[in-house]
Amino acid sequence: MTIQKTRVRPAAPPVKRRRTPTTNVADVGRPGFIWAAPATLFFGAFAIVPLIMVVVLSFMSWDGIGDPEFTGFDNWRRVFDDPVMIKSIWLSLLLTALGVLLQTPLSIMLGVWAAGNQKNRAVLSAVYFVPLLLSATAVSVVWRALLDPNFGVPAEATWLFGDGNLFGEQATAIGVLAFVSTWQFTPFHTLIYQGAARAIPQVLYQAAEIDGAGRYRQFFHVTLPQLRNAIMTSMILMVVGGLTTFETVLILTQGGPGTDTTISAYYMYEEAFKSFDYGAGATVALVLVLAATAISLIMVRLSGYDKMRSTTEGL
Amino acid sequence: MKTRRGTPRIVAGGVALGLTLALTACGDDGGSGSGENEFTVLVYGDATNKVEKKLVEEFNKTSEVKARLDTIPGAEYQQKLQTIISTPQAPDVFFHWGGGSIKPFVDADLLLPLDDFIKKEPGLKDNFLPSVFDASVVDGKAYGVPMRGTQPVMLFHNEKVLDEAGVQPPETWDDLLDAVEKLKDSGVTPIALGGGDQWPTQMWFQYLYDRIAGPELFQKALSGDTEAWESEDSRKALGMIRELVDTGAFGKTYDSVKFTNNGSPQLVASGKAGFELMGSWYYSTQQSLDEKFAAEDLGYSAFPTVEGGKGDPENLVGNTNNYYSVMKKAEHPEAIAEFLKLMYSDTFVKDQLGIGNLPTTTNTPDFLDEAASPEYSKFQYGLVEKAPHFQLSWDQAYPQSAATDLHKAIQQFFNGGLDEDGFISAMQALPTS
Amino acid sequence: MRRRPNYLAGAGSLIWLFLIGLPLYVMVTATLKTQSDFVQGGPLGLPTDITFDNFTGAFDTGFGRYFLNTLLVTVCVVGIVLLLVPPLSYSIVRSRGRVTTGVFRLFLLGLAIPLQAVIIPMFYLISEAGLYDNLIGVILPTAAFALPVSTLILSGTMRDISRELFEAMAMDGATPRRMFFQLVLPLSRGGLATIVVFSALQAWNGFLFPLVLTQSEESKVITLGLYNFQTERGIDAPGLLAAVLLSMIPVLLVYLFARRALVRGLMGVGGK
Repeated sequence: MTIQKTRVRPAAPPVKRRRTPTTNVADVGRPGFIWAAPATLFFGAFAIVPLIMVVVLSFMSWDGIGDPEFTGFDNWRRVFDDPVMIKSIWLSLLLTALGVLLQTPLSIMLGVWAAGNQKNRAVLSAVYFVPLLLSATAVSVVWRALLDPNFGVPAEATWLFGDGNLFGEQATAIGVLAFVSTWQFTPFHTLIYQGAARAIPQVLYQAAEIDGAGRYRQFFHVTLPQLRNAIMTSMILMVVGGLTTFETVLILTQGGPGTDTTISAYYMYEEAFKSFDYGAGATVALVLVLAATAISLIMVRLSGYDKMRSTTEGL
Repeated sequence: MKTRRGTPRIVAGGVALGLTLALTACGDDGGSGSGENEFTVLVYGDATNKVEKKLVEEFNKTSEVKARLDTIPGAEYQQKLQTIISTPQAPDVFFHWGGGSIKPFVDADLLLPLDDFIKKEPGLKDNFLPSVFDASVVDGKAYGVPMRGTQPVMLFHNEKVLDEAGVQPPETWDDLLDAVEKLKDSGVTPIALGGGDQWPTQMWFQYLYDRIAGPELFQKALSGDTEAWESEDSRKALGMIRELVDTGAFGKTYDSVKFTNNGSPQLVASGKAGFELMGSWYYSTQQSLDEKFAAEDLGYSAFPTVEGGKGDPENLVGNTNNYYSVMKKAEHPEAIAEFLKLMYSDTFVKDQLGIGNLPTTTNTPDFLDEAASPEYSKFQYGLVEKAPHFQLSWDQAYPQSAATDLHKAIQQFFNGGLDEDGFISAMQALPTS
Repeated sequence: MRRRPNYLAGAGSLIWLFLIGLPLYVMVTATLKTQSDFVQGGPLGLPTDITFDNFTGAFDTGFGRYFLNTLLVTVCVVGIVLLLVPPLSYSIVRSRGRVTTGVFRLFLLGLAIPLQAVIIPMFYLISEAGLYDNLIGVILPTAAFALPVSTLILSGTMRDISRELFEAMAMDGATPRRMFFQLVLPLSRGGLATIVVFSALQAWNGFLFPLVLTQSEESKVITLGLYNFQTERGIDAPGLLAAVLLSMIPVLLVYLFARRALVRGLMGVGGK
């Protein structure tokens, strides 16, 4: 990473220091573990303990009424033999990929634009951010009403939507899900890019201009490389968000038509709370955790987040 | 820096205040667990709830132990019920469909057999039609008292729409196919279907299987003889469904329409569709949606006959009845017994009739003239009285764990996602008990 | 330095404006229509005669109650986060023990735990604790799942506090407690604002925990109210959209009055 590191918050002075020899003074007044204990215990009780229970449950058979029974790897075998599950993994990945592909260019473009100094910018960006104010539930509910084939916009705009059966076919149903997620999350990612784009030193543009670079070359040779960190951060968030999409599916398509939009996160809910197969549900949940962890770890490595940590932590 | 010292204090103070407020505020609205002198009654949330609310109010006027009514929106009732039934927050009395739907609860020893209640007050049994009462008997013990009413599935229609297309309510399957063509020509969706809920789609299967093969095929399949699904009759029924769907009888968007959110009833009421196959509660649904339509233009008929079918054309499908069952853990069984006695009281029967439901008490015929639509109630009563067989909805007859897969198979065969063989093997894979 | 406007980006942002604007237009006009007006005139038409029944209707179905519940959940969650995260981040940044490094790793790992993953045991734990269908049962797990990101944000802020300041205070013989209250907290107000905004939004918009962990009217939150409205009477689009609009109002107010903190807060979530 040769380029100067850009941060979203420009206010903070760059903290870069080398490890200094330990002195007595530096060791005085360091807080003990007791400061971390309450939060750790709380988090342990409500996140780690349940996570361990999920692992245990994935080796059990339980319908919520009788007593759970140990069944070894039965759930795991069943889940990976289940064509719906395999399909749901692909669907999760597809939706996540679609989300990244749609949202990244759009939010970079909007973010860079909003970071500029056009006159109407303030007003427009105020409107852009409206989706931020809505919960995923509200967003899905609104779009479900708008896209209703009989009483919504498609019934009026048949030239655009044909028979309006958006939720009745896999391709269009996936399209709707990807579109609604994009609608909801682009403003947030735009903010990330807006902040990052503002922090790009103008000198770089001036230098590029002296070299005779046009607007587009400036964008590709100055702006984009400078947004590297922001792109990584935003993509990690998109991936984790995409894998765990739930409300959108529940409200817009309920996994249908058939199982054509049943992504893993929704499938888990169905297995557990509709079919009362808590063991299979727990297994699907674990697959989700493993996928999310693996992808975040890979991306954290790529983004150099842990490096950033080591440069600032060396107190 | 000293001037800033206030900030954390204020923050800490605010936090403490917030937490105190929260804990005191949350502390006393403690969810659905019953209070001291109280028992909870959980029912399916829909248009009928106003009758149940009134009944609970009546009951609470005189009773020392109060009843508390909780509702769960229909679309989620069954799943929430099973989720909480073995937790401390389970209700004391709850609504169900009889038969398979309570079998797992009985097996887990959660329910109170009502035989002692009945010994003390024989009316709890004798005041109901025996066939209905028996549908909630499991392993020889009574577990449910009928409430609400019997709910046969009928073919409803918008009279205006049918008139405009020159269509009569169909008596035979061929009439129906004819009507579909004519309605298509007049530019409306012939049959509204809340395919998004999946169980409305199931009704078409239930009736056609019954008409063509008789009730025996399904009984056989349910008892574990899954070859029944491969039989010639089964394929014939599937072929007829395929044909009906492919002619465009349901339009194209049925899987995006729901009954539970009033989508499909709205299509019929607003004249965008001609028919809808639905349970008898349809009347009260339309009544609460558009009172004028329900009174003037809502028509109904029995499901058409199918030529050459083995099933009796007077057979019905639907919900035999709804029932209240009592949990073993209930703390006030005496009060609950008193509450259950109201299920055959005159006012209750009249109120149910008033919203188009048909209670199955022995005194029901006395009040038919006082129904919201006497004609409708009498028609329904006639159907039920004459029916040689009343097939309980498939998803209620199967154990709950089969419901999701059953619904999916039905939806996918209907919209072409599964072919005949795919549907048959999906049905064969369902757990039977 | 910029010479001419960026036409491509400008056009793109106009299209985006349309995509944002259309639903907003439909939403606002629909809430002023009667249901039959909406069905007959379609979602794009203007209301023929304006009605406010949809808003009063939303309150009749209990949205007032849902509001208070959601507010309560939000305040409690923010409270818990503010109580737990600052000391935690402080110790992560300043402590040199192995244990705290491990704790930081634990919370980093926590970032990758989707809340859906633990919903099954969470249901079991909460109902065994007798907190099913009780707002406390929603508050506790929601707060727990707001901790990792908040910790990450706040410890990022605290790392930026200059080391000389700590050393100066240490010279004066300050205890960790004094440093925390006199130095760390005042200097991390930006980060604190960010975690307040973040955890408040998470609590306000939370869905899955309330969906699985509550049931009755008395403990319903707004998101669940919207969902139920949709499942029960979804075809009443004007009423539904009025409820959505109402649910936006508090966030909108925060947005209007604290736009900078909100925007900075959200940027902070992504940026750090």
